[in-house]
Amino acid sequence: MQIDLQERDDVLLRRSAKGDEDAFAVLYRRHQASIYRFALRMTGNPWAAEEIVQDVFMTVVRDPKKYDAKRGTLGAFLYGVARNRVMKHRERMPRETPLEDKNGDVGEETLARITDHRTPAHWAEFGERREHVRAAVLELPVEFREAIVLCELEELSYEEAAKALDCPIGTIRSRLHRGRALLLAKLEILRDVPKRAGAGR
Amino acid sequence: MNCEEFAMAGLDLGDGKADGPLQQAAREHLLLCSHCASLHENWQALRGDLRELGAETSEAETPSRVEMRLRQEFRTKHKTMRSYRVAAFAGWGLAAAAVLLGTFSWVNWKIEKNRLLTRNGSLPAANISQTASVNAAASHVAWAGPELGETLMASNGSGDFTLLPGTMPGTLDDAMVVRVQMQRSVLGTLGLTVNQERATDWIQVDLLVGDDGQPQAVRLPESTN
Repeated sequence: MQIDLQERDDVLLRRSAKGDEDAFAVLYRRHQASIYRFALRMTGNPWAAEEIVQDVFMTVVRDPKKYDAKRGTLGAFLYGVARNRVMKHRERMPRETPLEDKNGDVGEETLARITDHRTPAHWAEFGERREHVRAAVLELPVEFREAIVLCELEELSYEEAAKALDCPIGTIRSRLHRGRALLLAKLEILRDVPKRAGAGR
Repeated sequence: MNCEEFAMAGLDLGDGKADGPLQQAAREHLLLCSHCASLHENWQALRGDLRELGAETSEAETPSRVEMRLRQEFRTKHKTMRSYRVAAFAGWGLAAAAVLLGTFSWVNWKIEKNRLLTRNGSLPAANISQTASVNAAASHVAWAGPELGETLMASNGSGDFTLLPGTMPGTLDDAMVVRVQMQRSVLGTLGLTVNQERATDWIQVDLLVGDDGQPQAVRLPESTN
Protein backbone atom coordinates (compact mmCIF):
# COMPACT_ATOMS: atom_id res chain seq x y z
CA MET A 1 0.00 0.00 0.00
CA GLN A 2 1.41 3.42 -1.02
CA ILE A 3 1.88 5.99 1.72
CA ASP A 4 1.83 9.67 0.99
CA LEU A 5 4.52 11.22 3.18
CA GLN A 6 2.36 14.33 3.59
CA GLU A 7 -0.56 12.25 4.84
CA ARG A 8 -2.10 13.69 7.99
CA ASP A 9 -1.19 12.14 11.32
CA ASP A 10 -4.72 11.09 12.20
CA VAL A 11 -5.15 9.39 8.82
CA LEU A 12 -1.88 7.53 9.30
CA LEU A 13 -2.89 6.56 12.81
CA ARG A 14 -6.21 5.17 11.59
CA ARG A 15 -4.43 3.12 8.96
CA SER A 16 -1.88 2.00 11.50
CA ALA A 17 -4.66 0.88 13.86
CA LYS A 18 -6.02 -1.29 11.06
CA GLY A 19 -2.68 -3.04 10.74
CA ASP A 20 -0.88 -0.94 8.10
CA GLU A 21 2.74 -1.22 9.18
CA ASP A 22 4.01 1.28 6.61
CA ALA A 23 1.65 3.92 7.96
CA PHE A 24 2.98 3.26 11.44
CA ALA A 25 6.57 3.52 10.18
CA VAL A 26 5.88 6.91 8.57
CA LEU A 27 4.25 8.10 11.77
CA TYR A 28 7.17 6.89 13.84
CA ARG A 29 9.81 8.48 11.64
CA ARG A 30 7.92 11.75 11.62
CA HIS A 31 7.83 12.10 15.39
CA GLN A 32 10.57 9.96 16.90
CA ALA A 33 13.38 12.52 16.71
CA SER A 34 11.56 15.33 18.50
CA ILE A 35 10.28 12.97 21.20
CA TYR A 36 13.73 11.47 21.63
CA ARG A 37 15.41 14.87 21.93
CA PHE A 38 12.79 16.02 24.39
CA ALA A 39 13.27 12.90 26.49
CA LEU A 40 17.05 13.12 26.23
CA ARG A 41 17.11 16.73 27.34
CA MET A 42 14.64 16.12 30.10
CA THR A 43 16.43 13.10 31.51
CA GLY A 44 20.00 13.72 30.36
CA ASN A 45 20.21 9.99 29.77
CA PRO A 46 20.25 8.43 26.26
CA TRP A 47 19.26 5.03 27.56
CA ALA A 48 16.25 6.44 29.39
CA ALA A 49 15.33 8.57 26.36
CA GLU A 50 15.38 5.46 24.16
CA GLU A 51 13.15 3.64 26.59
CA ILE A 52 10.75 6.57 26.76
CA VAL A 53 10.44 6.77 22.97
CA GLN A 54 9.78 3.06 22.86
CA ASP A 55 7.09 3.37 25.54
CA VAL A 56 5.46 6.31 23.78
CA PHE A 57 5.14 4.51 20.46
CA MET A 58 4.20 1.27 22.16
CA THR A 59 1.15 3.17 23.41
CA VAL A 60 0.36 4.08 19.80
CA VAL A 61 0.71 0.44 18.75
CA ARG A 62 -1.26 -1.08 21.59
CA ASP A 63 -3.95 1.47 22.16
CA PRO A 64 -4.28 3.92 19.25
CA LYS A 65 -7.78 4.88 20.43
CA LYS A 66 -6.22 6.76 23.32
CA TYR A 67 -5.52 9.59 20.91
CA ASP A 68 -8.50 11.84 20.31
CA ALA A 69 -7.99 14.15 17.32
CA LYS A 70 -10.51 16.62 18.78
CA ARG A 71 -8.26 17.29 21.76
CA GLY A 72 -5.15 18.29 19.84
CA THR A 73 -2.45 17.21 17.46
CA LEU A 74 -0.83 13.81 17.58
CA GLY A 75 2.49 15.53 18.29
CA ALA A 76 1.03 17.10 21.44
CA PHE A 77 -0.42 13.76 22.45
CA LEU A 78 2.96 12.08 22.03
CA TYR A 79 4.66 14.85 24.03
CA GLY A 80 2.06 14.33 26.74
CA VAL A 81 2.76 10.59 26.91
CA ALA A 82 6.50 11.31 26.86
CA ARG A 83 6.10 13.76 29.77
CA ASN A 84 4.34 11.09 31.83
CA ARG A 85 7.13 8.65 31.08
CA VAL A 86 9.71 11.27 32.05
CA MET A 87 7.93 11.72 35.38
CA LYS A 88 7.95 7.98 35.96
CA HIS A 89 11.60 7.89 35.06
CA ARG A 90 12.28 10.59 37.63
CA GLU A 91 10.45 8.60 40.28
CA ARG A 92 12.62 5.58 39.83
CA MET A 93 15.79 7.45 38.82
CA PRO A 94 17.56 7.19 42.18
CA ARG A 95 17.40 3.40 41.86
CA GLU A 96 18.95 3.31 38.41
CA THR A 97 22.39 4.23 37.16
CA PRO A 98 23.03 4.33 33.42
CA LEU A 99 25.82 2.08 32.21
CA GLU A 100 26.97 4.62 29.63
CA ASP A 101 26.83 8.37 30.01
CA LYS A 102 27.86 9.39 26.55
CA ASN A 103 26.22 8.79 23.23
CA GLY A 104 27.93 8.18 19.90
CA ASP A 105 28.74 11.84 19.17
CA VAL A 106 31.91 11.86 21.23
CA GLY A 107 34.10 11.01 18.26
CA GLU A 108 32.87 13.97 16.25
CA GLU A 109 33.34 16.28 19.20
CA THR A 110 36.92 15.12 19.70
CA LEU A 111 37.62 15.60 16.01
CA ALA A 112 36.22 19.12 16.18
CA ARG A 113 38.53 19.90 19.07
CA ILE A 114 41.58 18.64 17.22
CA THR A 115 40.88 20.77 14.16
CA ASP A 116 40.00 23.77 16.33
CA HIS A 117 42.87 26.19 17.04
CA ARG A 118 41.68 27.18 20.49
CA THR A 119 43.75 26.12 23.48
CA PRO A 120 43.13 23.05 25.68
CA ALA A 121 42.47 25.44 28.56
CA HIS A 122 39.67 26.97 26.56
CA TRP A 123 38.18 23.56 25.82
CA ALA A 124 38.46 22.56 29.43
CA GLU A 125 36.65 25.70 30.51
CA PHE A 126 34.10 25.30 27.73
CA GLY A 127 33.43 21.69 28.66
CA GLU A 128 33.15 22.52 32.33
CA ARG A 129 30.74 25.35 31.69
CA ARG A 130 28.59 23.22 29.44
CA GLU A 131 28.44 20.52 32.07
CA HIS A 132 27.36 23.09 34.63
CA VAL A 133 24.62 24.37 32.32
CA ARG A 134 23.47 20.82 31.58
CA ALA A 135 23.38 20.00 35.29
CA ALA A 136 21.54 23.24 36.08
CA VAL A 137 18.89 22.46 33.44
CA LEU A 138 18.44 18.93 34.77
CA GLU A 139 18.04 20.25 38.30
CA LEU A 140 15.14 22.54 37.36
CA PRO A 141 11.66 21.46 38.46
CA VAL A 142 10.01 19.49 35.68
CA GLU A 143 7.49 22.09 34.53
CA PHE A 144 10.16 24.80 34.22
CA ARG A 145 12.57 22.37 32.62
CA GLU A 146 9.98 21.46 29.99
CA ALA A 147 9.54 25.10 29.08
CA ILE A 148 13.31 25.70 28.91
CA VAL A 149 13.91 22.53 26.89
CA LEU A 150 11.20 23.30 24.35
CA CYS A 151 11.70 27.06 24.00
CA GLU A 152 15.47 27.41 24.47
CA LEU A 153 17.01 24.09 23.49
CA GLU A 154 14.45 22.89 20.95
CA GLU A 155 13.84 26.56 19.95
CA LEU A 156 10.11 26.15 19.52
CA SER A 157 7.88 29.23 19.50
CA TYR A 158 5.67 29.85 22.53
CA GLU A 159 2.65 28.71 20.52
CA GLU A 160 4.32 25.46 19.52
CA ALA A 161 5.47 24.81 23.07
CA ALA A 162 1.98 25.53 24.39
CA LYS A 163 0.51 23.05 21.91
CA ALA A 164 3.11 20.44 22.78
CA LEU A 165 2.47 20.78 26.50
CA ASP A 166 -1.25 21.30 26.04
CA CYS A 167 -1.39 24.48 28.09
CA PRO A 168 -2.01 28.22 27.46
CA ILE A 169 0.76 30.44 26.11
CA GLY A 170 0.60 32.49 29.30
CA THR A 171 1.56 29.42 31.29
CA ILE A 172 4.55 28.83 29.02
CA ARG A 173 5.66 32.46 29.44
CA SER A 174 5.42 32.31 33.19
CA ARG A 175 7.17 28.94 33.45
CA LEU A 176 9.86 30.17 31.13
CA HIS A 177 10.32 33.31 33.20
CA ARG A 178 10.70 31.35 36.41
CA GLY A 179 12.88 28.75 34.75
CA ARG A 180 15.22 31.41 33.42
CA ALA A 181 15.39 33.09 36.81
CA LEU A 182 16.24 29.78 38.49
CA LEU A 183 18.86 28.98 35.85
CA LEU A 184 20.46 32.39 36.22
CA ALA A 185 20.50 32.00 39.99
CA LYS A 186 22.11 28.57 39.75
CA LEU A 187 24.74 29.69 37.24
CA GLU A 188 25.43 33.09 38.74
CA ILE A 189 28.29 31.62 40.79
CA LEU A 190 29.81 30.06 37.69
CA ARG A 191 29.70 33.35 35.81
CA ASP A 192 31.22 35.28 38.67
CA VAL A 193 34.19 32.96 39.09
CA PRO A 194 36.31 34.19 36.14
CA LYS A 195 35.52 37.82 36.97
CA ARG A 196 36.62 37.40 40.56
CA ALA A 197 39.70 35.43 39.49
CA GLY A 198 40.57 38.21 37.03
CA ALA A 199 40.08 40.84 39.68
CA GLY A 200 42.35 39.00 42.04
CA ARG A 201 45.33 39.06 39.64
CA MET B 1 8.41 49.37 31.22
CA ASN B 2 9.61 48.67 34.74
CA CYS B 3 12.15 46.07 35.94
CA GLU B 4 9.52 43.44 36.69
CA GLU B 5 7.97 43.75 33.23
CA PHE B 6 11.41 43.64 31.70
CA ALA B 7 12.25 40.42 33.56
CA MET B 8 9.01 38.91 32.29
CA ALA B 9 9.15 39.96 28.66
CA GLY B 10 12.36 41.84 27.96
CA LEU B 11 14.63 38.81 28.04
CA ASP B 12 13.23 37.77 24.68
CA LEU B 13 14.66 40.93 23.18
CA GLY B 14 16.29 40.26 19.83
CA ASP B 15 15.02 36.74 19.29
CA GLY B 16 11.83 37.79 17.57
CA LYS B 17 9.55 36.29 20.20
CA ALA B 18 8.53 39.67 21.62
CA ASP B 19 6.44 41.97 19.45
CA GLY B 20 7.51 45.40 18.10
CA PRO B 21 6.28 47.90 20.71
CA LEU B 22 7.35 45.60 23.56
CA GLN B 23 10.85 45.31 22.11
CA GLN B 24 11.10 49.07 21.77
CA ALA B 25 10.03 49.55 25.39
CA ALA B 26 12.52 46.92 26.55
CA ARG B 27 15.37 48.59 24.65
CA GLU B 28 14.52 51.92 26.21
CA HIS B 29 14.44 50.34 29.66
CA LEU B 30 17.84 48.74 29.08
CA LEU B 31 19.38 52.15 28.44
CA LEU B 32 18.03 53.47 31.70
CA CYS B 33 18.46 50.48 34.08
CA SER B 34 21.93 49.05 34.70
CA HIS B 35 20.56 46.15 36.77
CA CYS B 36 18.35 44.99 33.91
CA ALA B 37 21.19 45.59 31.44
CA SER B 38 23.36 43.25 33.50
CA LEU B 39 20.53 40.72 33.74
CA HIS B 40 20.05 40.89 30.00
CA GLU B 41 23.75 40.42 29.38
CA ASN B 42 23.89 37.41 31.68
CA TRP B 43 20.84 35.93 30.08
CA GLN B 44 22.25 36.35 26.58
CA ALA B 45 25.43 34.54 27.68
CA LEU B 46 23.39 31.78 29.25
CA ARG B 47 21.17 31.55 26.20
CA GLY B 48 24.29 31.06 24.11
CA ASP B 49 25.27 28.16 26.36
CA LEU B 50 21.79 26.71 26.14
CA ARG B 51 21.81 26.95 22.36
CA GLU B 52 25.16 25.15 22.30
CA LEU B 53 23.73 22.51 24.56
CA GLY B 54 20.74 22.22 22.27
CA ALA B 55 22.93 22.06 19.17
CA GLU B 56 24.84 19.20 20.75
CA THR B 57 21.76 17.00 20.54
CA SER B 58 19.91 18.71 17.70
CA GLU B 59 20.61 15.84 15.33
CA ALA B 60 19.99 13.16 17.93
CA GLU B 61 17.63 10.43 16.83
CA THR B 62 16.31 7.28 18.37
CA PRO B 63 18.58 4.29 17.60
CA SER B 64 17.24 2.14 14.79
CA ARG B 65 16.84 -0.85 17.11
CA VAL B 66 13.87 0.91 18.70
CA GLU B 67 12.09 1.05 15.35
CA MET B 68 12.84 -2.63 14.80
CA ARG B 69 11.45 -3.53 18.22
CA LEU B 70 8.33 -1.44 17.64
CA ARG B 71 7.74 -2.96 14.21
CA GLN B 72 8.09 -6.42 15.72
CA GLU B 73 5.56 -5.51 18.40
CA PHE B 74 3.27 -4.06 15.74
CA ARG B 75 3.40 -7.27 13.69
CA THR B 76 2.85 -9.46 16.73
CA LYS B 77 -0.13 -7.42 17.85
CA HIS B 78 -1.84 -7.37 14.47
CA LYS B 79 -1.05 -11.01 13.74
CA THR B 80 -2.64 -11.94 17.06
CA MET B 81 -5.66 -9.79 16.29
CA ARG B 82 -6.01 -11.37 12.85
CA SER B 83 -5.82 -14.86 14.36
CA TYR B 84 -8.38 -13.86 16.97
CA ARG B 85 -10.74 -12.55 14.30
CA VAL B 86 -10.37 -15.73 12.23
CA ALA B 87 -10.98 -17.88 15.31
CA ALA B 88 -14.02 -15.83 16.30
CA PHE B 89 -15.42 -16.00 12.78
CA ALA B 90 -14.85 -19.76 12.61
CA GLY B 91 -16.46 -20.21 16.03
CA TRP B 92 -19.59 -18.30 15.05
CA GLY B 93 -19.72 -20.15 11.74
CA LEU B 94 -19.56 -23.52 13.50
CA ALA B 95 -22.21 -22.48 16.00
CA ALA B 96 -24.53 -21.35 13.21
CA ALA B 97 -23.93 -24.60 11.32
CA ALA B 98 -24.72 -26.62 14.46
CA VAL B 99 -27.98 -24.73 14.98
CA LEU B 100 -28.96 -25.22 11.33
CA LEU B 101 -28.13 -28.90 11.49
CA GLY B 102 -30.11 -29.30 14.71
CA THR B 103 -33.14 -27.54 13.26
CA PHE B 104 -32.97 -29.56 10.07
CA SER B 105 -32.68 -32.84 12.02
CA TRP B 106 -35.61 -31.96 14.26
CA VAL B 107 -37.84 -31.01 11.35
CA ASN B 108 -36.83 -34.17 9.54
CA TRP B 109 -37.57 -36.27 12.61
CA LYS B 110 -40.99 -34.70 12.99
CA ILE B 111 -41.87 -35.30 9.35
CA GLU B 112 -40.64 -38.91 9.53
CA LYS B 113 -42.62 -39.53 12.72
CA ASN B 114 -45.83 -38.20 11.23
CA ARG B 115 -45.28 -40.26 8.08
CA LEU B 116 -44.82 -43.43 10.18
CA LEU B 117 -47.92 -42.77 12.22
CA THR B 118 -49.92 -42.10 9.11
CA ARG B 119 -48.77 -45.40 7.61
CA ASN B 120 -49.51 -47.45 10.76
CA GLY B 121 -52.87 -45.92 11.48
CA SER B 122 -54.12 -45.81 7.89
CA LEU B 123 -55.51 -42.43 8.81
CA PRO B 124 -54.33 -38.89 8.23
CA ALA B 125 -51.93 -37.85 10.96
CA ALA B 126 -54.16 -34.98 11.99
CA ASN B 127 -57.02 -37.31 12.81
CA ILE B 128 -54.87 -39.62 14.91
CA SER B 129 -53.97 -37.08 17.50
CA GLN B 130 -57.40 -35.68 17.84
CA THR B 131 -60.05 -36.95 20.17
CA ALA B 132 -62.35 -39.52 18.79
CA SER B 133 -66.03 -39.47 19.13
CA VAL B 134 -67.69 -42.49 20.69
CA ASN B 135 -70.58 -42.80 18.36
CA ALA B 136 -72.24 -45.84 16.97
CA ALA B 137 -69.92 -47.85 14.76
CA ALA B 138 -67.01 -45.51 14.22
CA SER B 139 -63.55 -46.92 14.60
CA HIS B 140 -60.91 -45.20 16.64
CA VAL B 141 -57.22 -45.55 17.20
CA ALA B 142 -55.53 -45.20 20.55
CA TRP B 143 -52.14 -45.99 22.01
CA ALA B 144 -51.82 -48.39 24.87
CA GLY B 145 -48.59 -46.89 26.06
CA PRO B 146 -44.95 -47.63 25.38
CA GLU B 147 -44.93 -50.70 27.66
CA LEU B 148 -46.89 -52.66 25.09
CA GLY B 149 -44.52 -51.80 22.28
CA GLU B 150 -47.28 -51.92 19.69
CA THR B 151 -50.30 -49.93 18.62
CA LEU B 152 -53.55 -51.48 19.82
CA MET B 153 -56.73 -51.13 17.89
CA ALA B 154 -60.03 -50.78 19.75
CA SER B 155 -63.58 -50.67 18.69
CA ASN B 156 -66.91 -50.51 20.42
CA GLY B 157 -68.62 -52.64 17.92
CA SER B 158 -69.83 -55.45 20.17
CA GLY B 159 -69.87 -54.72 23.87
CA ASP B 160 -71.13 -51.68 25.72
CA PHE B 161 -69.10 -49.59 28.10
CA THR B 162 -69.84 -49.71 31.78
CA LEU B 163 -70.03 -46.27 33.29
CA LEU B 164 -67.72 -45.79 36.21
CA PRO B 165 -69.34 -44.62 39.45
CA GLY B 166 -70.00 -40.87 39.43
CA THR B 167 -69.97 -40.44 35.64
CA MET B 168 -72.86 -38.69 33.94
CA PRO B 169 -73.98 -40.32 30.68
CA GLY B 170 -74.18 -37.00 28.80
CA THR B 171 -70.43 -36.25 29.16
CA LEU B 172 -69.28 -39.10 26.93
CA ASP B 173 -69.85 -37.41 23.57
CA ASP B 174 -66.23 -36.42 22.95
CA ALA B 175 -64.54 -39.15 24.92
CA MET B 176 -61.73 -41.27 23.49
CA VAL B 177 -61.31 -45.03 23.62
CA VAL B 178 -57.96 -46.14 24.98
CA ARG B 179 -56.95 -49.75 25.22
CA VAL B 180 -54.61 -50.43 28.12
CA GLN B 181 -53.10 -53.47 29.74
CA MET B 182 -53.37 -53.56 33.51
CA GLN B 183 -53.67 -55.89 36.45
CA ARG B 184 -57.20 -56.77 37.29
CA SER B 185 -56.81 -55.32 40.79
CA VAL B 186 -56.54 -51.83 39.28
CA LEU B 187 -60.19 -52.04 38.34
CA GLY B 188 -60.85 -51.75 42.07
CA THR B 189 -59.41 -48.23 42.08
CA LEU B 190 -61.91 -47.34 39.34
CA GLY B 191 -64.74 -48.36 41.62
CA LEU B 192 -65.46 -51.78 40.09
CA THR B 193 -65.73 -55.10 41.91
CA VAL B 194 -62.70 -57.35 41.49
CA ASN B 195 -62.46 -61.10 41.88
CA GLN B 196 -59.65 -61.37 44.41
CA GLU B 197 -58.54 -64.78 43.21
CA ARG B 198 -57.68 -63.40 39.82
CA ALA B 199 -56.53 -59.95 41.04
CA THR B 200 -52.99 -60.36 39.78
CA ASP B 201 -54.00 -61.35 36.24
CA TRP B 202 -53.04 -59.07 33.39
CA ILE B 203 -56.02 -58.02 31.31
CA GLN B 204 -56.67 -55.71 28.39
CA VAL B 205 -59.25 -53.05 29.11
CA ASP B 206 -60.83 -50.38 26.92
CA LEU B 207 -61.18 -47.13 28.82
CA LEU B 208 -63.35 -44.29 27.72
CA VAL B 209 -61.31 -41.20 28.61
CA GLY B 210 -63.04 -37.88 28.86
CA ASP B 211 -61.84 -34.35 27.98
CA ASP B 212 -60.41 -33.98 31.47
CA GLY B 213 -58.19 -37.06 30.98
CA GLN B 214 -60.13 -39.07 33.55
CA PRO B 215 -61.60 -42.49 32.69
CA GLN B 216 -65.37 -42.25 32.38
CA ALA B 217 -66.34 -45.80 31.42
CA VAL B 218 -64.73 -49.18 31.04
CA ARG B 219 -65.20 -52.16 28.76
CA LEU B 220 -63.69 -55.56 29.22
CA PRO B 221 -63.17 -57.40 25.95
CA GLU B 222 -64.93 -60.76 25.95
CA SER B 223 -61.74 -62.81 26.08
CA THR B 224 -60.71 -61.25 29.39
CA ASN B 225 -64.06 -61.43 31.16
